[in-house]
Amino acid sequence: MNSRNLWFKLFVPLLAVGILVGLSATAGAATINVGALNDMTGATSDVGKDYALGIAEAMHYVNDSGGVNGKKIKLYQFDYGYRVPEALTKYNLFKRLKCVAILGWGTGDTEALSPTVTKDKIPYVSASYSGHLTDPNKTPYNLFFATDYSTNARAAITAWFDKRWPKHKDYGKRKPRFACSYMFASPYCSAPIKAIKDQAAILGFEIGPDQDVSLFAIDTKSQILGLKEFKPDLLWHGNTTMSVAATLRDGYSLGLDADHIVNNWGFDENLPRLAGKAAEGVMGAAVCAFFGEDVPGMDKVVAYAKKYNPGVPAEKRLIRTIQAWGDVLILWEALKRADKAGDLSGESILKNGFETMRNFDIGLGASPVTFTSTDHRVAGQVPIYEWKNGKFGLVERVDLKDRWPDKWANEWIGW
Amino acid sequence: MRKRSLILKGFSVVVLGTFLLACATMPTPTEKNFQAPVVTLNSVELPYYTGWWYYDVKVQPTKGNAGKYGAPLALAFVFDIQNPNEYPVMMDGFKFTVAFDGIDVNTVNSPEVQWIPAGKTNQVRVMAITDARAALLSLLVTGGFKLKERETNVWAQLEDWWLAAKDYSLAIEVKEGSAIFKADGLMNVTGFSGKFGPE
Repeated sequence: MNSRNLWFKLFVPLLAVGILVGLSATAGAATINVGALNDMTGATSDVGKDYALGIAEAMHYVNDSGGVNGKKIKLYQFDYGYRVPEALTKYNLFKRLKCVAILGWGTGDTEALSPTVTKDKIPYVSASYSGHLTDPNKTPYNLFFATDYSTNARAAITAWFDKRWPKHKDYGKRKPRFACSYMFASPYCSAPIKAIKDQAAILGFEIGPDQDVSLFAIDTKSQILGLKEFKPDLLWHGNTTMSVAATLRDGYSLGLDADHIVNNWGFDENLPRLAGKAAEGVMGAAVCAFFGEDVPGMDKVVAYAKKYNPGVPAEKRLIRTIQAWGDVLILWEALKRADKAGDLSGESILKNGFETMRNFDIGLGASPVTFTSTDHRVAGQVPIYEWKNGKFGLVERVDLKDRWPDKWANEWIGW
Repeated sequence: MRKRSLILKGFSVVVLGTFLLACATMPTPTEKNFQAPVVTLNSVELPYYTGWWYYDVKVQPTKGNAGKYGAPLALAFVFDIQNPNEYPVMMDGFKFTVAFDGIDVNTVNSPEVQWIPAGKTNQVRVMAITDARAALLSLLVTGGFKLKERETNVWAQLEDWWLAAKDYSLAIEVKEGSAIFKADGLMNVTGFSGKFGPE
């Protein structure tokens, strides 16, 4: 009897444990759930797809690099087709799946969900860089790694004023003339308008009438003719790539003698492909390096793109991949800091994670990231690029915070 | 009682022996012997079809709220996943892009995990739903130049696709596919593509 008991007590449990451990690939693995809301079918899918690929690839890198202090991240990545009602539905699913943070996408879902994520205290790291999301008094749980649209617009017009205007034949004889071209009804396009006009006034520009250009436009001749009456020296484009390319092409063919600066989502590797010669000399706020550029961390981005998406040629990859990595890398760092503090709640990820970052360098050509409890603008320094002789090159890093410290600290936050 | 105990001991030894033997003789995955499984598009099915239609916000529905709604085009893609290895592999990630007539319309992600036995072929069915409203916006924002080159417009292009789907005359392409396979801590990624439709 004793002998039989010994067999059962030792052998059977050992066998059971052995089989279970042997067969279970995930035995003992702790995971942290993160949601990702992406547009792979809708209005922004041309850039949304590349961003979505970047999110997944970056998350593989995070897990291969030890995860969150040893805990793997489980990514729940869904397409919402840029349909805001579906974004709300997916958000509810993320809550059910106990996601500790969400990697969001555009202005539509980000703004629609902003009050909800604030109430639920769930960090929402998105690719909408609206300046309206940088004031933690109003939107404490909205975060992103990049400089915001308003800061970018101020930096782009300043870079042109510093570098191009002094070389103009009329420099010193009159004020430079400035106008804006964008879709008035689009929240993304119009977000930085107030800021860029404020900056134009600070720099002493004469400001002309805005031109309403649809995001769907492939013919902008009437707007160009309207601009020719004002004769701008500089035109700011707030749309996405295709309609920006259409405006550049029409401006070029109709002899609009102006330079161009472009907001982030209209300034990528596809712009010169669509605009051709008309893209020469166009400047823009890129917020990070372009795909494949020689900057710290890019080797990993390129390697993971090749490894996990071998069917997508490198020449089709965009800066959007780098932007996705930027958002994943700051979320990773926030999760590690919160986990180290022993609390992975949303509030802790914000307070012990994001808001403890001071000049946190993610590489990738982006500005080092700082979040405080009173300011979610990540940096006052913005890299301004130019398309010239077949490649993107850095024009300068405009340091708004250093140049206008009082305005930066007291006036410019949140718009 | 003693006889029963002996039978139990004997049975346990046989079970353990068989288990250990199976473990010992099963090939161990290594970087060298881990071959990428082969993914092939088997077929594309139209499991749900409501024709071609689009409602503007001005149209009042019989029930519910007015809005801008387009016909859904639901396609089920069936893939064969062939495991050439002498050990089972786990598929942990499956994604591809769908193109109609050479224009990307959807990128589909199927995150469900499945095991493919050694030397066997599994099938996986992935649903891809593209609605006409989302496709319309996508084409409007990005496809303008391409459609102009083809001497068509977005509405005509969408109608062509939606109507061609019902008699399987739509040229459907699977591209930029990527399937992630894992075995004993090792990983292999298979790229794949395929076409379904008129020759």
